[in-house]
Order: sequence, then structure tokens, then C-alpha cells
Amino acid sequence: MKGKQITLLAIFALAALCISSNVQALTRNDGGVDGGLLNYGEYGRPATLDPITSNDMISLRVSELLFNGLVGIDEKQEIVPELAERWEISDGGRAYTFYLRRDATWHARAGEEPLPFTADDVVFTFRIMTHPKTITPLKVRYEFIDGVEKLDDFTVRFRLKRPILNALAKFSFKIIPAHGPANPEFLTRRDPFVHQPIGTGPYMLKSITGDREVVLEANERYFKGRPHVDRFVGKPFADQNIMTQAMMFNAIDMIILVNPRNIPEIQGDRRFVLQPYNALSYSFFGYNLRNPLLADRRVRQAFTFAINRREMLDSFFNGQGTIISGPFAPGSWAYNLDVLPLQYDPDRARDLLEEAGFRPGQDGVMEKDGEQLSLTLKVPIEKESEAVKRVVLAFRSYLRKIGVDVRVEFKEWLSWKEDVFLSHDFDIIFASWVFDDSADISSLFHSAEIGPWKNNFGAYSNPEVDSLIVESKLTLDHEKRRTIYRKLHDLVAEESPYTFLWTLTNYAAYQKKVRHVAIHPYKYFSFADEWYILEEDRP
Amino acid sequence: MRFSSVRTAAFVLGRELAITALLLAGVSLVVFAILFLAPGDPFSLLLEGQMGDDAVREALGVPTAWYAQYLSWVSNILRGNFGTSVHTGLPVLSEIIRVGINTLYLTLGALLITLVIAIPIALLSARMGNTSLTLPLTIAAYVISALPVFWLGYIAIYISTHRFGAFPIVVGSSGTQGLNMTAFLLPIVVLGVGNGTISEVVRYLREEMGRVFAEEYIRTAKAKGGSVWRHSVREGFIVPITQIIATKIPFVLGGAVVVEQVFNWPGMGRMAWQAAQTRDYPLIMGITIIAAVIVRMGSLLQRVVHFMVNPAAAGD
Amino acid sequence: MKRYTQRSSVVVEFSDLPFWKKADRRDLFYLGFGLLVLTMVLVSYALGSLEWLPYDPQEIDLDMLMAPPGTEGHLLGTDFMGRDILSRLVLGTQAYFLPGLLSITIALTLGSLVGVLSGYWGAGFDTAATYLGNLLDSFPRLVFILLVVAAFKPDIYYIMVVVGITNVPVVSLLIRDKILSLKQKTFIEAAKALGLRNRTIIFRHILWHNCRSTLIIQATLGMAEAILIESSLSYLGFGVQEPTPSWGNMVQAGSNYFMQGQFWSSTAPALAILVTIMGFHLLGDGLNYILEGKRS
Repeated sequence: MKGKQITLLAIFALAALCISSNVQALTRNDGGVDGGLLNYGEYGRPATLDPITSNDMISLRVSELLFNGLVGIDEKQEIVPELAERWEISDGGRAYTFYLRRDATWHARAGEEPLPFTADDVVFTFRIMTHPKTITPLKVRYEFIDGVEKLDDFTVRFRLKRPILNALAKFSFKIIPAHGPANPEFLTRRDPFVHQPIGTGPYMLKSITGDREVVLEANERYFKGRPHVDRFVGKPFADQNIMTQAMMFNAIDMIILVNPRNIPEIQGDRRFVLQPYNALSYSFFGYNLRNPLLADRRVRQAFTFAINRREMLDSFFNGQGTIISGPFAPGSWAYNLDVLPLQYDPDRARDLLEEAGFRPGQDGVMEKDGEQLSLTLKVPIEKESEAVKRVVLAFRSYLRKIGVDVRVEFKEWLSWKEDVFLSHDFDIIFASWVFDDSADISSLFHSAEIGPWKNNFGAYSNPEVDSLIVESKLTLDHEKRRTIYRKLHDLVAEESPYTFLWTLTNYAAYQKKVRHVAIHPYKYFSFADEWYILEEDRP
Repeated sequence: MRFSSVRTAAFVLGRELAITALLLAGVSLVVFAILFLAPGDPFSLLLEGQMGDDAVREALGVPTAWYAQYLSWVSNILRGNFGTSVHTGLPVLSEIIRVGINTLYLTLGALLITLVIAIPIALLSARMGNTSLTLPLTIAAYVISALPVFWLGYIAIYISTHRFGAFPIVVGSSGTQGLNMTAFLLPIVVLGVGNGTISEVVRYLREEMGRVFAEEYIRTAKAKGGSVWRHSVREGFIVPITQIIATKIPFVLGGAVVVEQVFNWPGMGRMAWQAAQTRDYPLIMGITIIAAVIVRMGSLLQRVVHFMVNPAAAGD
Repeated sequence: MKRYTQRSSVVVEFSDLPFWKKADRRDLFYLGFGLLVLTMVLVSYALGSLEWLPYDPQEIDLDMLMAPPGTEGHLLGTDFMGRDILSRLVLGTQAYFLPGLLSITIALTLGSLVGVLSGYWGAGFDTAATYLGNLLDSFPRLVFILLVVAAFKPDIYYIMVVVGITNVPVVSLLIRDKILSLKQKTFIEAAKALGLRNRTIIFRHILWHNCRSTLIIQATLGMAEAILIESSLSYLGFGVQEPTPSWGNMVQAGSNYFMQGQFWSSTAPALAILVTIMGFHLLGDGLNYILEGKRS
């Protein structure tokens, strides 16, 4: 009985709303048609749906649909206006003034009028994001901002602590409404807002089920024009094999990131489009330089020579990726193409180990001063991370051939993180970094970043690298920074604090009926408002 | 009903309730003890070292001393407050109830399937002894009890998709697609068949029924030309069946953890797995306790049924 | 119809007949099958320890990923790393040996202790034992294991401790019933009258002479249980971890290819589990019928 009343009330409120505000849906003229439903599969469940407390990919995709930043980043990695129409940079790059759109509105809550988006919301978002009691992974990324002030209802000015290059891209963080969170001071996962968020984006949250199925509906008032697809539904799966089967049997329309082992199956099927997209990420083996055995550069280089990356890439990933030589994602402007990846050469690896003073000991394991070259490789357990298992097992087998004993230890995700980032109890890890457009690697290799929960987990320290990183941060010239990065790439490749592996080509798979699909390299759904489904393709 | 039997009923019910309450108190203590002894601090992990422990504790409102933690936790539970999930920040109880009902369907359905398979085998072999018919049936019960249930699930899905072209999985719970009967039935059947208890249920029922068949009064009834079945129904049927249901609930609930994964069934078992992975202490605590409550309720119900069927036997 | 007349808690007097003469055809079939499986498992264990295997079970062959059975001497084919499935299957028995033994030891020692306490001294102990038994039975085992995994770590030994503890009530109940029936027959009073010490009565006369077979049967069933639990946990990602082979993680790894129609790499270990569990169950039941004289 209660449920019925609520629905009736909601319908009534909706009717009232339509009459009073005389809404006209903004249609866009880009050749797409409105309507249709898109079910996409997700492996796992989102924790929270707001852009501040969430830290998983699934939530990231949802908040990309619900929210906007002051600026956006387009397919060509260029900054485009979003909630800010234009901006000015003054005071030698220390002040950023944003002139906001006047036609953006927040999604309406049931029974409420949609409120306009104003400068207060921007100020509010920054304050709540940097509040010490707000639990968010974003905080460290906005340390460079000193403060924000509202100049008028549609103008805000951010002051930076010091000028930095590419600061504009960082203003793509999502803006939340000042009237959103129940607690206006700080935001935790207990706030109802994190589960029922409202934003300015192309889609509005309709419902989220107990099972974390997310239903999103087109925002008729979206300032860029109504998105084409009526409804986006994120379906949670607990088993990736089943998720792929669900697409094969039309129960879902799209998988954002296809498991490499399922690629051949989908490739052979004419009903689907398998679309590659660039990812600004790479995989690597990272070494703990606190271990004296690994502190010697020659040992690390030997490991890189000993493994056959081409063979692994071909056998495990159907060759879908690029082998890399250094610390930048090959899709980015910072990557130095002149540094070539080392070729597979086990003899050279053995020579390097001997140079470093190792001799073959008993049972074929190399020794130095009676100490065996025996190392622990820690890997997080992911239930179906078959690709991960394959790479680490192959790594172990390659190293065994040059007389290095590697013990693989699978740990559950959270304790793995503790071992690597807190207690530094590991010798080698296998992991991936995912970058945004800034190609900022300072936190990975600068010696000031050694310590608990910091990203330089392997305690790599080199004054030359440090000074290059500092230099790159100080420069405001893009070309100059690029030159520095090229030098840095060369140096880090030579030093091998990691064995850099590859960037994999990501594949999205979707039913042919979904048209005009483009996928953002690390935000995925940025262009989803332009996707459409032709009427004759709908069930 | 006579006065004395009302009193007995009240006494038995009261005693059973007291036992249940005591057991649940024990359950809460065990769960708390395990998590209290656990190393690591989930809150600091969530934050990845962004702030000191005390600040977080203050923000989340967690007391520090162990007995204070236990007492505040138990008193909250009694008021229906199981805390909020570390991972999602949502109230644990409402989260569990939202999906728990699905698990209840799955479990009860599976128990039904188990009985539907086990009872005929048990009856046949209790009535007929070891014949060329019952031995293969018994062996078959052994075979299906020994299969890893997730593999059985994969086989069922494969056959259903490749042979019959039906996709037997409920995708999501928002109802954006129509209901699909196989999608509901297949997981129930797989769990009913594969929960590993069929051979035990068969054995137990056969023994109990065999005993009833052999007892004097049935022979008398038989001699008088009465039906064997009608007389044996109460004693040899209802009591053992409710008994075995009550004892097997925890097994089937455990099996549900796996089956829910395979069939994407939006239930408590999947949530438990998720909670174990993210070390969501409040959530896994809540799930364990709710599961224990379900088990105890099943047991309580069984005692009540037993009392109604045979007050004398259940009273002592 | 005679065989149905005994209640499970009543112990039958042993006649002097050797056990194989008391057994009927079905019992012998159960026992034979069970012993065959047990032998196979033990032989596999020995072969694994001696490394008498057709291939090195850790040897990775990237040119032979997921080869079907019979390819170039791989009798059961290869897995997702090109490793020989037969060799891994044989070696896989080792994954269960020590963990299984741990859970059995815990169940039997603690179970006997509790059983003796509640059966021999009765009253308070009995109530406490029943309470603890019901308490442990209140937890669905897999949920309880997930709780422990979340609290500590997904280590097979931790998990087997839990399995062992949850089996304590079963064992203790059996021992207790046995002692009570011995008491009924004034066996214990007679022993006491003879001036035997409690320790002697308990260890020699109760546990050794009268409960031996019960304990053996429970040990068999405990091993079967360890295997099944491990395979479920492997599916959930918390079982024995690579590169150590266990039947559970082999089925899990192979089942990733199941939907593409590549069955063999999960079928072989799944059948191994099936046959072994069945063997252990039948062995337990066969022993139960023959040694205990229990009929169902």
C-alpha cells in the first residue's frame, strides 16, 4: 500500500512539474535519433555513485553520465568547455577565472523544481572535496589549488599555490550541487547523496536496486541537448564468463572492457562490434629496491632481458597491445619513441647476472655470497584474473631459465595493497598504472614519494631523476616539458626500476544496433550522449 | 484443547524460544570474537593513509574499547541497526533484507527439489529393500552429491544455451526485461541437486521410514487392512522431513553462495562474497548473523511442528 | 525386514564372525570401490612426491595452450598455461593431504574430547556440548568461512581449521551416543568395579576398542569434505593458489573455457573430485555397515 502511494505522489509531482515549467526538450541535430534502451554489463558492483567518495571504475562510468566538470576532455585529448563557457588565466598562471553557463540545471528531485547551476555549487564542491573529514581519493590531486572565490553568480576564480602546466585539465573534476549532500560540511559514504546523487549531466539516476543495478534516464533539460538513448542500465555480474554469455544471448547490449579470452568468440560474430580504444595505462613488474639483491641495476636489467614480452603478448592477448620501453603510456605525448624496448635475450641476462657477481649454485639457482637469488612475487587475487595468472606464471618460468627462483604469492586485494604500499613486504609485484592526460609520473619515481601509502613503493631513488622531475614541474612550456620527459623516459628505461611490459588495447563490444559509439580512454562514457539506436533496431 | 496441553505448549514454546535466544547470543559473540581478533584496520585501508586513524574514527563514530564495541554493536543489533557497510555506506540490515528475500526463494526452492528427489528414492528403498531398482538410484544420489556445484551450474547453463537456445540467467533485478521461467528454475534445480546433501537426506529418511514401517502398530494396521501410508505419515514422514529440512538449511545457504555467483542471482551469498573481498566487516557480520537467525528459525519451526505432531516426544 | 529394526544409537554386539562374512554384496561393492579410490589417491600422492610424472607439472609451454586430450603425449591435454593436466591432476592430491589431515585431526581430537566429557561425565558437560554443537550448526559453513577469510586471510590452513571445528559436534555426538550405550549395558560400571582407572577406561576401552571404527569413518568423510570445500572456495577465488595445483583450482581455471566448448580441462579434475568424493563416502558407508553393524 505504501509503495503505491509513493508512486502516485511521484506521478502527481511530475505532472505538476510539466505544466508549471513549460519544458521543451532540447533536441540536438547531429543525425541521431532519440529513444531506445541500452543495457551494459559490469563485472562487480559500484560502491557509491557520487564523483567524490567513489573510487572504482563502475562508479566512475556512472558519474560520467550524471555529472559534468567545469571543462571536459575530448577525443583528441583537448580541453573543451562544459559547465564553464570560457575561462581566463591571469597573474602569471596563478589565477583561473571561469565564466559559467547560465542554462545548466540540476536534475530535479521528486516533487522539486530543478534548481539552476551557479557559482555557489563550484565553491561548494571544492570546499567539500578538500574538507579533512571527506573521505575521497581525489584530495591529493587538488593540493595545487590554494582556494576559490565566487565573483558573481556565474563567475568563479581559483587561485593556485604556484603556476603549473596543464592545470586546466585538472578542472575537469565533477561539480556536485550545494543542495545535494545532507551534510553541507563534508561528505562520507553515509550521506544519502552518495546513493541518490543529482548532477547536471546527460542522464539522471532513476533507481538503484539492492543488487546495485543502476538505471539512468535521459535528462530532457541537458544543456548540450537531450541525449539520444532513453535509458542506460548498468547490470552487475559476478562472473565474467556469464557476462559474455549474457551478451551472446542478447540479455545485455554492451561490455565496456572485454576479457581478452573472449575476444575471438565475439570477433567471429557478426551481430557485434568489437571496438578497440586507447587506454592510457601500462602493465609492469615493479621491484623493491630495499632488497639488496634488487638494488643492483644489472639484476633488474637482466630480468627484463630474460622475459619474452612478444611471446606473452601474442599467446595471452592475441597480440593486441604495444610493448613499451619506459614509464609513459605510448598513447601519450610524453612517450619517447626513440627508446626501443629491450629484445628477449636470455644469454645477455645471464651475462648481466654474472657481471653483478652471481654464480650458479646448487639446484641451478644463482647465488652471490652464499645468498640465493630467490624472490617473492606478490599478486592480488582477482577471481577470474586468468590473464594476470598467465603473465606471472610465465614470468616465473622465464626467470627460472636464467637461474632465478621466483615464488608467486597470491594475496587478497586489500592485504596485497597493505604489503606493497604500507609495510613494503615484497620483492616484485605485477601491476598496472592508469594515467590521465597529464602523463604525470612524478609520484612514481621521485624519492620524496617513498613512504607509507605513497606511490614510489619500490623506494627508487636517483638524484638525476628527481631533478628532472622537479624541472618538468616547474616549466610552463609544453615543448620544454616534452624534452625533459624524453630524457626522463630514457633514464628510467636504463635504470629499470620496473620491467615495463605493454599497453594493452582495450576492446568494447556491443550490439550492432548501438550507433556512433566512441569511448573515452579513461572516462569511458564521456561521449555517451551522442550514441543512438535506430528505431528499426529496437525490440 | 485441554488446559494442561495449552500449558505444555506454552512451556515448550517458551523453552525453545529461550534456547534460540541463547544460541543467537552465542552466535553474536563468536562473530564478534573473530572480527575482534582479526588483524588490520578496514577504515585505514579505505582511506589509504590520507588521514590519521583517530580522525576517521571520529568521522565514522566507532568506539575504541572492545567491550564497548561489542555492547554497542549488540544493542544496536537488537534495535535493528546492524551498522553501515564500509564499502557502500548503506545500512547493512536494509541491504541484506533487499537481497535476502531472493536467497530465501532460492534456498527454499532448492530444499523442495532435494526432497522431491530424495523422498521417492528413500520410500522405494525403505519399502522394497535393496533391489535392482533402488541400488542404481542410491548410487545416482551419491554421484550428484559429489559434484562441485559450480561446475554443475556451468553444465546446466551450457546445455540450456547451446541445446535449447535459452539463456537461463536473470540479468538484474530492476525488471527491465520480462520474466523468464527457466532463469528462475535452473539455479533452484542446480542448488537442489548439487548442494551435496541428497545422499545424506536419502539415507536419513530411509532409516527413519524403515523404522516406522517395521514398528508394531503398523503391522497391526496392516493386519486390520488399514493403509500403511496413512499411519506412517505423521511419525515416519512429517517429523523426519521437517527434521532434515531444519538441519540442512545451513548447507543449502552455504551452497547458495556459489550458485548465486554462477547464475548471477542477486542474493545474500553474492553479497557475502563481495563483502569478503572488500573486507566489509559490518556487512559480512550482518550476513552471518542473519543466516544464523534463519537457521535457528528453521529449527524453531521444526520443534513446533514436532510438538504438534507428537507432543509427548517433543516435550522432553 | 530385520535389517531395519535397529535404531542408529544402539550398538550391536559383535559376533565372532569375521567382518567379510557379515557383509552383503552391496557392502562389499561399497567397500571395494572405496578402497580402490583410496588406493588410487595414495598412489597418486606417492607418485607426486617421487615426481614420477609424465611431465613436469609446472612446465609452461606457450605453444600448447589448451591442447585437447591426446596431443603429443598429453593424455588429458593441457591447461591455460600449456601444462600437462594429467601430471597436475596426480600432483593435485598433495594439495589436500596436509590441510585435510589438519581438519580431520582437529575434528577427531576435539570431537572425542567433547564426546567423552559429555558422555562419560554427563550433566553439565552434556548441556554445554549440546549448546556448542547447536551454536556451530547455526552457521552456514561457507558463509562462516567467508567471514574468516575477510577477517584473517584466504589461507587453506585457516579454512581447514574452520572446517575441522565445525565438524567437532558430529564426532562428539557419535562418541557420546556410543558411551551412553556402553553405560546402558553397564560396561563402564563393570570396568570401574574391576578397579580400572578412568584414563584406561576412556582411552583403551572406550576410544580404542569401541570408537575406533567410528573415528576411521569420520576421518574418511572429513577428507571428502575438505576436497569439496576447497573446490567451492577455488571457484570463489579463495582456495589453493597457483602455481600449486589443486583439483578445485583446476576445475575453476578450466571452466573459464567451458562456454566456448573446451570441456576437457575442467572435466578431468571435476571427475577426479566426483570419483574421489564418492569413493570416500562409499568407503565410509561400507565401513559403517560392516564394522558398526548399522543398517539403513
